[in-house]
Amino acid sequence: MSQPLIKRGRQLIVASGLSLALAVSSAMAGETPEIGPLPQLKTDILKAALGKRLFFDKRLSGDAGIACASCHIPENGFAHPDALAPGYPGNKHFRNSPTLINTAHKGIWMHDGRLGTNLNDVTREMITEDYLMNMDMRLMQERLKQDPVYVRMFAEAGYGEPSNGGVRKAIPEYLKTLTSRGAPFDKGKLSRAARRGKKLFEGKAGCIACHNGPNFTDEKPHNTGVPENPDAFTDPMRHQAFLAWASFLGVENYHALKRDPGAHIQTHKADGSDMGKFMTPTLRELKYTAPYMHNGMIRTLADVVEFYNQGGGQDRNKDPLLKPLKLTGKEKKDLVAFLESLSGEPLTSKEFVWDEPYPSEYEAIADWRNVRN
Amino acid sequence: MNKTLKTTALASLTVAVSLACGQGLAAGMGGAHKVMDEKVGIYKAGKPEVNPPLAPLPPMPVPPDNKITKEKVELGKILFFDPRLGGDASISCASCHDPEQGWAWAEDFSRGYPGTVHWRNSQSIINSQYMQKQFWAGAAASGEKQAPSAAKGAVAGNGEDDIMEARLALIPEYRRRFRDVFGDEWPLIGNAWKAIATFERTLVSDNTPLDAYLKGDKTALSEQQLRGKKLFEGKANCIECHNGPLASDERYYNIGVPSSRRWEEDGMAQITFRYEQYAKGVTEPMYRNVKADAGFYYRSKNAWDKGKFRTPPLRYIAYTAPYMHNGAFYTLEEVIDFYDRGGYDEEGRTTDFPENKTPLIKPLGLTDEEKEDLLAFLEAFSGDEITIDKPELPSYEPMYTKEEILEAKK
Repeated sequence: MSQPLIKRGRQLIVASGLSLALAVSSAMAGETPEIGPLPQLKTDILKAALGKRLFFDKRLSGDAGIACASCHIPENGFAHPDALAPGYPGNKHFRNSPTLINTAHKGIWMHDGRLGTNLNDVTREMITEDYLMNMDMRLMQERLKQDPVYVRMFAEAGYGEPSNGGVRKAIPEYLKTLTSRGAPFDKGKLSRAARRGKKLFEGKAGCIACHNGPNFTDEKPHNTGVPENPDAFTDPMRHQAFLAWASFLGVENYHALKRDPGAHIQTHKADGSDMGKFMTPTLRELKYTAPYMHNGMIRTLADVVEFYNQGGGQDRNKDPLLKPLKLTGKEKKDLVAFLESLSGEPLTSKEFVWDEPYPSEYEAIADWRNVRN
Repeated sequence: MNKTLKTTALASLTVAVSLACGQGLAAGMGGAHKVMDEKVGIYKAGKPEVNPPLAPLPPMPVPPDNKITKEKVELGKILFFDPRLGGDASISCASCHDPEQGWAWAEDFSRGYPGTVHWRNSQSIINSQYMQKQFWAGAAASGEKQAPSAAKGAVAGNGEDDIMEARLALIPEYRRRFRDVFGDEWPLIGNAWKAIATFERTLVSDNTPLDAYLKGDKTALSEQQLRGKKLFEGKANCIECHNGPLASDERYYNIGVPSSRRWEEDGMAQITFRYEQYAKGVTEPMYRNVKADAGFYYRSKNAWDKGKFRTPPLRYIAYTAPYMHNGAFYTLEEVIDFYDRGGYDEEGRTTDFPENKTPLIKPLGLTDEEKEDLLAFLEAFSGDEITIDKPELPSYEPMYTKEEILEAKK
């Protein structure tokens, strides 16, 4: 590249935890938003179809090596089965890939909650971040304009010619189609065990203090004492992504960190009392999205329940809401049964997955000298 | 850090470092100067100027804030070959500036980042640090500025500062070397570019037949080459621009090189062509209609600069085919024929911006014998091929053990 002093803009949207939480929790007072079915989201079929093709297209990454779907795999509930996500070729990721099912129902994104605006911004962040897809969106736009199928689909969707802005609208439109369907909980068809589990969830186990509302999240950061995943710090391929993240987000003394600061990057408290908080994840679709927690450190739902039964992990910043629960073996199984009732049908059909081949090379535009660019 | 779309700001044209370099070289050129024609923005040929003569290379200019040391050269050499200074850790500086391809790339367009192709010819690193500015349109004011621009551009290295710096931190040998050379507690990416520029300042080709001749060995050039030299300085008038120690006046001209044919048939190249218009910031009508590289225009945004490129040095050209900013010609014979026709290729094609073509370029009327003489003289600008033992790349090492992570107090 021969124009060296161009600065690519950097853009960072850190959520204000107060103003953006959709479901305002007042768990301490014992009043929480009710759990229940998610609302249906209206989608534009043509825009969503375009977003679907983009989501599975590797040409949206810098070296055309990975697509959104590389870390968000339909068969895995649009998450990834590894504890820590793969990330961009040349590095690996340092956190677990979260499910994208119901992501359109959220108001704040990423385990550290660093994006609190909308999925348009999330889409930009994922495509452009160097350890994720490492794409210069100006180049992406020109790649898309080289594909006649995109030229047609963008026009039909009402976006005009292929553009960065169109991508940032179309992918969120597709993500709206990834809404849970057919979960026993939503259909009101809970087994006896699940019904007992629901009672525990809302009562003795107190899960609902944070996992509340239709998407089972208060959309706030909490420290539950999840142990670190050593691989994030001992594998240089993962640690480099962590260092890049910490450097970019202004974390102090980041080389010396032996823990993931999480939502500390929203508040940067000097005393470190906000270290190790992570956004409450949804509990929907857990059947497909193991392993669990922000760093994939817990492999099964039974282990997750046991983790909370013991009052979470060890951490000076641990949320005081977490206390040993003294659940019996049967109660733990009931709780797992309830959690399992929150998973719906797999979203792996053609309705959700682009299964047509992409062109193997960029076709040359004919009569190039005489057509408009 | 993010890559996001953002249209361009003009590159700043001067920094203290380049001024310092420039003074060094100007002294070597005997202080010659040309007259700027305000109206058309080109440097006028003819009186009262005197073209600086071809000359041996002066000492390498060194910026005062980046002195050459043995340890810095050694570090820069390793970094030059290290693909971790790039986006997906698969290509290094040496990928597009391959020592075995003249420290350049032997195709019309440089190979580019995986999944892309570049849009200009890769220029040789040899003697490059004598130049006051880097890149075909002079877009970088120094080697220290060129290296990051290449390492970070979407169709070149596609790297970002934060992750490249993070990688250096995970390589203990780099931690030690950056501490020793720069005093860094953790390697700073800006110092990587300084080290690379320093290494490049050691890559000099000055043992050419021409240098020997200019230093007094009258047997160093053959009779044919001497006839070629006379043409170079006379009838063919190459010296009008290819003058001084580098055989380059480092100024910008439109000499009529036709737009690349590759854009007519290569889809990936078409993508990069449009990307460059977008990224460099041109008007909408220009983005829609332009079909050639506008060169210096992207920096100046003056219409009269469309299609201008900096005069390339002629040293080391035996190893750096193909030639011109877009690699239009694969042999020096083709280059000579191009000039002999007055800036037209064999199909009669010329620049897309003929209004800017310099009047310096006109048909030369060379005979076949004269062309051969000129070619023989051009060969005198190259000495031995410069080869290198590629350094062994140091390894990543974990910063922490599993036990240290698990036992850390939280």
